[in-house]
Amino acid sequence: MIDTEHRTQNTELRSQDNELIRCDGIWKIYNEAKPHEVRALVDVSFVVEKGSFTIFNGPSGSGKTTLISIIGAIDRPSRGRAYLDGKDITDFSDVTLSLLRRKRIGFVFQNFNLVPRLSAWENVSAPLIPQGIREKDRKYRAMQLLDKIGLSDRVHHAPEELSGGEQQRVAIARALVNNPDIIILDEPTSNIDVEAASLLIDILKGLKAEGKTILISSHDEGLFVNADIIFEIRHGHLAGSWVPLVHR
Amino acid sequence: MVFCLIAILFPFISAIAILEGVKVQSRVSVNEGADIYVTMDMYGRNGVIPLEMAEGIKKIDGVIKAVPRVISRIYIGSRLAVLLGIPIDEPPSSLSFIKGSIPQRGEIVIGKRMAEDLNMDIGNNLSIGVRVIAIIDHRPYIIKKLYRISGIFDSESSIWTSGLVMMNIDDAISTFEMDGFVTDIAVYVRPGYEVSVSENLQKMNSFFRIQTKDLVKTYVERGFNTKGGIFVALYTVAFALAIPAILVSSGFGLSDRRKEIGILKATGWQTHEVLEMVFFESIILALISAPAAFILSFVWIKLFNGLFIAQIFIAEIGSMPPFPVPSRFMPLPFILSFFFALILTMVGSIYSTWRAAIIPPAEAMR
Ligand SMILES: Nc1ncnc2c1ncn2[C@@H]1O[C@H](COP(=O)(O)OP(=O)(O)O)[C@@H](O)[C@H]1O
Ligand SMILES: [Mg+2]
Repeated sequence: MIDTEHRTQNTELRSQDNELIRCDGIWKIYNEAKPHEVRALVDVSFVVEKGSFTIFNGPSGSGKTTLISIIGAIDRPSRGRAYLDGKDITDFSDVTLSLLRRKRIGFVFQNFNLVPRLSAWENVSAPLIPQGIREKDRKYRAMQLLDKIGLSDRVHHAPEELSGGEQQRVAIARALVNNPDIIILDEPTSNIDVEAASLLIDILKGLKAEGKTILISSHDEGLFVNADIIFEIRHGHLAGSWVPLVHR
Repeated sequence: MVFCLIAILFPFISAIAILEGVKVQSRVSVNEGADIYVTMDMYGRNGVIPLEMAEGIKKIDGVIKAVPRVISRIYIGSRLAVLLGIPIDEPPSSLSFIKGSIPQRGEIVIGKRMAEDLNMDIGNNLSIGVRVIAIIDHRPYIIKKLYRISGIFDSESSIWTSGLVMMNIDDAISTFEMDGFVTDIAVYVRPGYEVSVSENLQKMNSFFRIQTKDLVKTYVERGFNTKGGIFVALYTVAFALAIPAILVSSGFGLSDRRKEIGILKATGWQTHEVLEMVFFESIILALISAPAAFILSFVWIKLFNGLFIAQIFIAEIGSMPPFPVPSRFMPLPFILSFFFALILTMVGSIYSTWRAAIIPPAEAMR
């Protein structure tokens, strides 16, 4: 345990002025009513503030990925409600959720999920294709982002020709391509080396400085010091939250 | 995927091209043949006709000439060929002699291509086998006779130059032990006399079976059309069976595809946008694979002579056709194959794409 941290129990929902995301009694049950039913999330409620750096901590299998997938609007809860800017998005249609993801959310998957047959810049610009943006402009935007995260010399590489850290940065560039205000990263330090991790932290700090809200699932304590708040997830339950001492 | 499509379209295009080609060649043969063919009815089938009837037929008003013929299947080695026995003074007009002379007794004339294939020339002896049904036990056997090659002919029809053997009609009659009978009499008439000659022939002998050129033409066409029809039907069945195979192999494996769709949707694509992309992909795939299959079958037929394919459509040739396989590439099968490819890719990918696109992206990416 790092001694700059101070833990407080904080399970009750506080109403906040700068509330961005609110989850209210979220359940996620896989294979419901079947013998192999899994209660991945059980009655989880919390609020994420605008512009904050939030970490969901918990051991593997505790439900972190499931939770951030619901927040990122790429999965639906089995029960409970999720709000964005006070709007209930739980029952949004497929189309509305797609548009929400496009405009508001950048998701960086644990295994990055780059399209293997596309080059780095094509992966970055893929989210722009359905918006009718010309290839020239798409490429320009992708190059800008790849340059920003220090990958301008890897633009034409295929994902398999990139290291884990480089793949992750391509995935981050892709998450940023629509200029969303919410960036979600699933276990961002699990598939990269130490150097790439420190580079990642710099990138995340930069994004936070730009005013973006950052949500991370991770059990990497090295990241905690950067967080504004850490939610503890255990066996699908929200076991509490705490604020690292540096922020108090 | 493209290879899969080409593999499906290739036989279709090749088959249609060969069928069309054969059709054209036989049309040539029919057009150049006689106006009326006369034979005798034998229990409802074509039988044989006495040779001397030719003299009577010649006397009918409007008849230019009446040529008795013996047509039969023969074997040259293990290969089937067609034997045409005709009077020495009546060689078919559509054949042109390039060497030698009309066959006398004990002689034959063969096509240029057959001569090349067998490495034979004028003066060589060729053994011809005839299938005979034994009178005692009804078991077929082949008797062989040697003939001297007296001439070599050429023709527009590659099937003829490689498969037709001409012989003196008297030889043919004795070879087949037909004793005064021939298989038919080819009647050439003055223009406009086809109908009246046909009527007079029927009056002359009610057992005559009379086939006019038009009738033959229709038979030939109908034969090809049924052949083509049967093929298309078979193909359609195979095609229907191929759809599940395509479904399985569609794109780059269903799970990869599913995952990719999940990724696209997670990054903000809408379901209809994903479907549109796959739709255009299908069109492009069809645009690539249809011409590719077309070129492949063209090359296959022209360069490799339809190896393994032609035998399905032309009876009794081996996997290596002994003559240039006739073929004709037409625009319709090409357009059809484009649509086939399109339907295949659509059925293959649109459905699976749609399935993957309507579930939450997190699920599709798993
Ligand atoms: N698609 C699924 N089907 C069934 N069970 C699942 C599925 N996804 C996750 N789970 C289960 O839900 C629980 C939480 O998983 P997850 O959210 O991936 O945890 P974490 O990200 O914290 O490791 C685990 O027990 C996991 O096995
Ligand atoms: Mg996880």
